[in-house]
Amino acid sequence: MSQTESIANQLDDLVSLERGEIDRRIFSDEEIFDLEMKHIFGRAWLFLCHESQIPKRGDFFEAPMGRDNVLAVRQKDGSIKAFLNTCSHRGNAVCRAEEGNVKNFMCTYHGWTFGLDGELVGVPGKSIFYKDRLDFSQHPLRKVAQLESYRGFVFATFDKTAPALEEFLGPTGRLSLDLLAERGDMEVIPGIQKFVVKSNWKFTVDNVFDYYHPQITHMSAFAVGAIPAPPDEFVEGGALTTEGNRLEVPFLPTDLHNIVMLGEYGHAISGPEQDALEVTSGREPFEWRYNPETQKKLGRLGSRVAGHPHIFPTTWLTAGAQLSLRVPRSPGVTEIWWFSFRDRNASKEQQTAELRSHIHYFGPAGLLEQEDGENWEQSTLQTRGDASREVPQLLKMGLQTSKIFKDDGLAVIEAPINEHAQLWTYHSWREWLRNPSWDELRARTTPGDYI
Amino acid sequence: MTITTTSTETTVDLAKVLRQHEIEQFYYYESALLDEHRYDEWIELFTDDVHYFMPIRRTMTRRQLGREFTKPGEMAFFDDDKELLRTRVEKLSTGTAWAEDPPSRTRHLITNVRVEDTDASELVVHSNFYLYRTRLKSAVDEWVGRREDTLRRVDGDLKVARRFIYLDQTILQSANLSNFF
Repeated sequence: MSQTESIANQLDDLVSLERGEIDRRIFSDEEIFDLEMKHIFGRAWLFLCHESQIPKRGDFFEAPMGRDNVLAVRQKDGSIKAFLNTCSHRGNAVCRAEEGNVKNFMCTYHGWTFGLDGELVGVPGKSIFYKDRLDFSQHPLRKVAQLESYRGFVFATFDKTAPALEEFLGPTGRLSLDLLAERGDMEVIPGIQKFVVKSNWKFTVDNVFDYYHPQITHMSAFAVGAIPAPPDEFVEGGALTTEGNRLEVPFLPTDLHNIVMLGEYGHAISGPEQDALEVTSGREPFEWRYNPETQKKLGRLGSRVAGHPHIFPTTWLTAGAQLSLRVPRSPGVTEIWWFSFRDRNASKEQQTAELRSHIHYFGPAGLLEQEDGENWEQSTLQTRGDASREVPQLLKMGLQTSKIFKDDGLAVIEAPINEHAQLWTYHSWREWLRNPSWDELRARTTPGDYI
Repeated sequence: MTITTTSTETTVDLAKVLRQHEIEQFYYYESALLDEHRYDEWIELFTDDVHYFMPIRRTMTRRQLGREFTKPGEMAFFDDDKELLRTRVEKLSTGTAWAEDPPSRTRHLITNVRVEDTDASELVVHSNFYLYRTRLKSAVDEWVGRREDTLRRVDGDLKVARRFIYLDQTILQSANLSNFF
């Protein structure tokens, strides 16, 4: 393939904000995946874990950063450091467990030993074999460039020039995490669900904002009452079953009242507005929101968000105190990781109820998420067909009709169900792939007046 | 009931043999119901107070192997009571449970059935399973693991009062768990 045919040189054509169209090749192209790893996952702040997962000295959790695996480790002084899980000698993983507690990390290949801070502290035969000429200080485990916590959520980046975490998150990203942190004294419940879908990671991300699909994809969950208050109104337009029967597609009271926030660097929030949600579910499940301090922290607009925040590139905060990480492993394989939270101060009954909903809605056996994987897998599979991949991916819902208003540092749209946040994600994704300076990237991912 | 064969001095407790046979037949019947998608009959094999639990398994060092599986009260893949199992069965019959339409082709193989020796009215039974699933044109999933059941006799019939399912996978290698174990 000549240089001019390279898909990397066609970035302008891959995403059209004007037409609401995406080039399907981005879901299976190897070259695009390599660029994503380099320009997005090599630069962005990425979620590693929550501080509550590693409370004690020597506690560690292995987290993905692009194609690399890093160990987030609680230090002797209570701080957290993260470094690559690869021995500075010959590259073997220095830790084979996915979480746990250690005094130090010893490579099982030749025994090089590293402290909790990643410093090299032991080398077998350092005198008789290395003649004391090995400078230990030059061979620590390779650290991430920056690591910071925001309200207990630990993020790291490989880019030492990246802006500070709070600045990267911006008002939209911070609100995303505040909406979980404000629910109480939050800790991660032991047990991270991890499972594999044979899908491109971007399908698993854009689905986060997709409030158009539950009525069909999750229709069976509605039908058995797994989602409270199934509606008795139905959407016009109609879907017809293979027998030619009309499939009544539920129309939810929230469908007309969505709130979207588009953030710098590609963060976004999309989904129902709180007041509309409470029409059917009542206020009782949301008492935590009405604490005056919480209202103040979330802000006038933030308090109304009941949808799904997403921190670019791969961190989804649900409306139900869970965090889902979409982990790209290859163009066609993604791991889904679920971190589930509870309020340490909640009653036993509340904790049990929340645990049940964490397990029963999302996750591979969840009444909802059971149905998602095959959609994404089949969508990915079809992008490999030489003819199929020429069909554009459509994100036209509400296109060019929505005014964006700016308030409190947020860029907000109020509209019926739409595909603005998905389109914003793909637009931002393209800008990341151009690999501009951080200032330029920020400027190119600052929303305008319309989408 | 005991049969003693004098030539080999082997003692066989016939009651245990019959019990073993009954439990194995019970599992084969259950497997057939699942593989034939007869979920309404399958759900009747569980007591009303059943706890159906599949923990999350984690790769841990040998030293910390006690933390390998999550426990009730922690996260899991399945943590169901009878009502939720019934909801899952109802969901499959709605006609809109797309993850099972077209239905998965499954085969449940149950082996290594060991009944704990006890006088209690409930039996603790360990078994190994192999669940093979194909979907659509070429999707293949397989799960191997161990089940730990508590079986109780209700009106003369064996029922599952507790089932803990321990998978031999940490990162689950499938996009969902839309089948029963």
